[in-house]
This record gives sequence, C-alpha cells and structure tokens, in this order.
Amino acid sequence: MQRAARTALFTWPNVGGSTMIRQCLKCRAPLQLNLRAYSVIPPPRDSEEKEMLDRMLRVDHAGEYGANRIYAGQMAVLGRSRTGPLIQEMWDQEKKHLEKFNEILAENRVRPTALLPLWNIAGFVLGASSALLGKEGAMACTVAVEESISEHYNSQIRALMEKDPERYTELLQVIKEFRDDELEHHDTGLEHDAETVPGYWLLKNAIQLGCKAAIYVSERV
Amino acid sequence: MAALLRGLRAGRALRGLCSVVAAPPAANPQGSSLRRSFHCAALRLQDESKSDKPPSSSSTTYHEHYQAHSAEQDAAAASQDDSTSDPAAEEASRPNTSYQDQSGEQGEEYETEEQLQARILIAALEFVPLHGWSMEAIAAGAETLGLSSASTGMFYNGAGDLVLHFISQCNSQLTEILAEQHKQVQLGQAEQKRTADFLRDAVETRLRMHIPYIESWPQAMSILLLPHNIPNSLKHLSSLVDDIWFYAGDRSTDMNWYTKRAALTGIYNTTELVMVQDSSPDFQDTWNFLDNRIQDVVNMSTTAKQVQSTGEAVVQGLVGAAVTLKNLTGLNQKR
Repeated sequence: MQRAARTALFTWPNVGGSTMIRQCLKCRAPLQLNLRAYSVIPPPRDSEEKEMLDRMLRVDHAGEYGANRIYAGQMAVLGRSRTGPLIQEMWDQEKKHLEKFNEILAENRVRPTALLPLWNIAGFVLGASSALLGKEGAMACTVAVEESISEHYNSQIRALMEKDPERYTELLQVIKEFRDDELEHHDTGLEHDAETVPGYWLLKNAIQLGCKAAIYVSERV
Repeated sequence: MAALLRGLRAGRALRGLCSVVAAPPAANPQGSSLRRSFHCAALRLQDESKSDKPPSSSSTTYHEHYQAHSAEQDAAAASQDDSTSDPAAEEASRPNTSYQDQSGEQGEEYETEEQLQARILIAALEFVPLHGWSMEAIAAGAETLGLSSASTGMFYNGAGDLVLHFISQCNSQLTEILAEQHKQVQLGQAEQKRTADFLRDAVETRLRMHIPYIESWPQAMSILLLPHNIPNSLKHLSSLVDDIWFYAGDRSTDMNWYTKRAALTGIYNTTELVMVQDSSPDFQDTWNFLDNRIQDVVNMSTTAKQVQSTGEAVVQGLVGAAVTLKNLTGLNQKR
C-alpha cells in the first residue's frame, strides 16, 4: 500500500496532467494513514487474537456510543439550564471518543454490536430520566456510568498488559487516554453534587449493574 | 524455546536431504511451502509468505492456483497445529526421513493431515462431474495421488468436506481478485466502480466459479443445508459477503453494517438458485436477474433516504405552522 502510493507520487512529475494530479490527491490520504506499519491495532497473528481484539473493540465502541446517547438525553432535558454547558463539554469529549472508535472499527473490519439500536434508545432514556431528577440526578448518572466505564477500561488495560504490552502500545495508549477522560468526567460529576440526590446509592448501583450487563452482552452479540 | 532452536538447527541440517527425497509431482510449491511453514513455526510470522506469492490472475489454471493457495493457507494453519499426522497417510505419501522431536514440530518432509486432505480434495474435484459430490469422487481423487481409496476414512464429513473445501477455495480466489482490483484502484490504474456495478461484478465472478460443476450444484447446495454443515456454510457465506462489501468500500459501524450484508446475502442466494435452473446461453438470464435485484436494493435505499428527508421537511413545516398559530393567537407574548 505504502509502496503503491510512493510509486504514484514518483511517476507524477513524468506524467503531469490534471487526471494524474487528481489521482495522486486521492492517494495522498492513504499515504498519510499508512506511514506507520499500522495505526492502532497490529495485524492479528491468528484467529484467536483477532477474536479477542474484535471483542474488546466491539464493546468499547458500544460503550462510547451508549455514553454519547446518555449525554444526548441529559442535554435534551437540561440543555437550557445552568448545567447545559458542562454537559455539552463532556458530550463533546465522548463524541471524539466515538469517532476514534469508528475509525478503528472500520480499519480493522470489526463487526459492530447488533444491539446498537437498543443502546441508542436505552442510553437516551437513561440520560433523560436521570436529568428529570434534576442536575444532581444527571450528575449521579454520570458518576455511575463513568465509574463503570473506567473500571472496564482498566480491566482491558490489565488484560493487554498481561498479554504483550509492546505489541499493543498504541491501543494501550488510546485506552489509557480515554480512561483518563472518563475518570475526569466522574470527578466532575462528584464535584457538582452528585451525591446529594435522594437514593444516590440505589441509583448508582442500579445503573452500574445495567452497565455491567450491557458490557457482557455487547462483547458477545 | 530451546527445543524450538534445536529443531531449527536440525531442520537446516536436513534441508539438503529434503530436495533429494521430495517425490510428489508438485514438489516446488510444496517444498517451498514446507520451508515457509517451518519458518512460520519458528518465527510466528504468517503474513510475510503471502506477500511473496504473486497475485494470481485468471489465466492461471484452476489446479495450479488451488495448489498454491492451499499450500499458503496450510502454511498459515500449520504454525498453530500440533501436527498429528496419520501414520498410514504418511507411509502412503512418501518415505519420511526426518523423525525430529516427537513434540510435533514441523519437519521438512512432514505433511500435516490438513495439507494431505487439501491435496486429496483438490484432486477429487476433477471427478465431481462424473461421481457427483460424494465419497466416490474423493476416493477417485485419492487414487490419482497414489493413495489407497481407503484414505477417504480421513473425511468424517464425507461429501460435506468436499463441498466446504470447494466453496472456501472459491471465496479465497474471489478475495484475491478483489484485492488485486483494489490495488489497481489505489495505484490509480483503474477507476473505482460504482457500488452497484462493483457488487454485480463481484457476485457474477463468484458465481461463475460454479459453472464447471453446475450440473451437480443442486446436490452440493443440499449438502450444505444439512444440519451439521449449516454452521460452516453460514460462516463461509458471511465471510464472503463481508469481503465483498469491504472491497466495495463499506466502512459503516452502525446498523447499516447489518442491513447491507443481509441484502447482499439475499441477492447472492437467490441468484445462485436462479443459476442452477438457468439454461440460457452463458447464463445470461441469471446475470439479468442479478442486475434487477441489485437495482431493487439501490432503489430501496434511495427511497429510504427520500422518505427521511421528506419526513424532516414535513416536521419543520408543522413546527413553523404551530409557531405561526401561537403568534396569531397571542400565546407567544410574554406576560
């Protein structure tokens, strides 16, 4: 691929003409992507590794998608209140995460989970209903979800480190970065009076149980 | 690790013997594939071997291509197996001069069971027009390789093994063709086809591989529908459809991933059915049917997009009308 793009660029001065330029412009984008041997995921050595990576990426993608929808639900209710800008900021970070995972999935031909429509609706409903409990409710939901996600990312990091930290350096970097972002959201939620919502303990554990179930199912379906 | 290194050194020492003793007619691809599989076992790098092979064009003979490709596939598979080779098959094929570690490392002379099975099945394909997809064809194939027809005992699934092997080889061939076309497009030597045309060409190319066996294809299809074969045949079908969409440029990561593949699976299966009872010259009716089905899917997706944009416009109109009404009735005034 890299060789192909280089060849295209070398023949450019000789041929000239607008069609060649157009074709080389098309080539330029892939050249930038493939200057490294691989971008985030190394090419899997065998089907076992491919399956493991597929599973991890599928559930991470589903998680970011769900988080996106949760923030969308919260914004729909609290968008015009004082906490609107705060939620919007957290939502924007989640959108970036989702974009990154979309890229990774497309590059590595990973099947997305079939339950995406379900997470679409469930996430929005969760976000909206927690926001209906007020700003503290929305923050409590954020705290619960972000804690689940950070735990999940931590266990993935542990698993990858156990296997082969050098091989998965880029992937580990991405997951660590995202985990740090999620922890930041968690702390933001706590700062903004998440714990003052009535029934905080119940709400938090119910949401975390739901997250665990969602993670379990998304890995497999 | 130490055992591996010992095996490596022993293997290098015996490689000289290998070239003398190698008996089978297709020695060169086999020998080089064994050397590769040996390196694979030591270095655990599979994909290097694939880049050494020149991309196959349609002008190579079926047999040559299958040989080369099966050797490549088995070289890739061999690095993970604990080779449990059938001693009877081993004796039947050629004298084994290297008895290395019993731990199951790849010897130069050692052919795995998978490789032997692949060779027999490839040879058996020639007899399918005569015997159909059955154990007789496999037995006849084994005999042309100089093995006794009792070696069909290796195939627990019988005719199912033969059919599954054939379709997996066809899928690999298609993938290579699509990858080659993709490379041409990247190099700028070919234009990217429109999606509908790409799908039509890919499905046509794949179905044309059935033409030599079209008389007995209904039998093959019914074998694939047997309950114990369904998981495997579904796996092959889904990987085929995934490959075609990937090379058509699909990079979706939402429900479209599923709907596109479902649509293409439907198109492929129905076209296959039409093909087995088509008697027009060069299956022209089948390709017309394929064209129409693909056009249907394209129309449906266009319609869906139109419905969505119309719906959005209608909603906007209604909201505008509601605001106008509120203004007119004075409900919008701040009190």
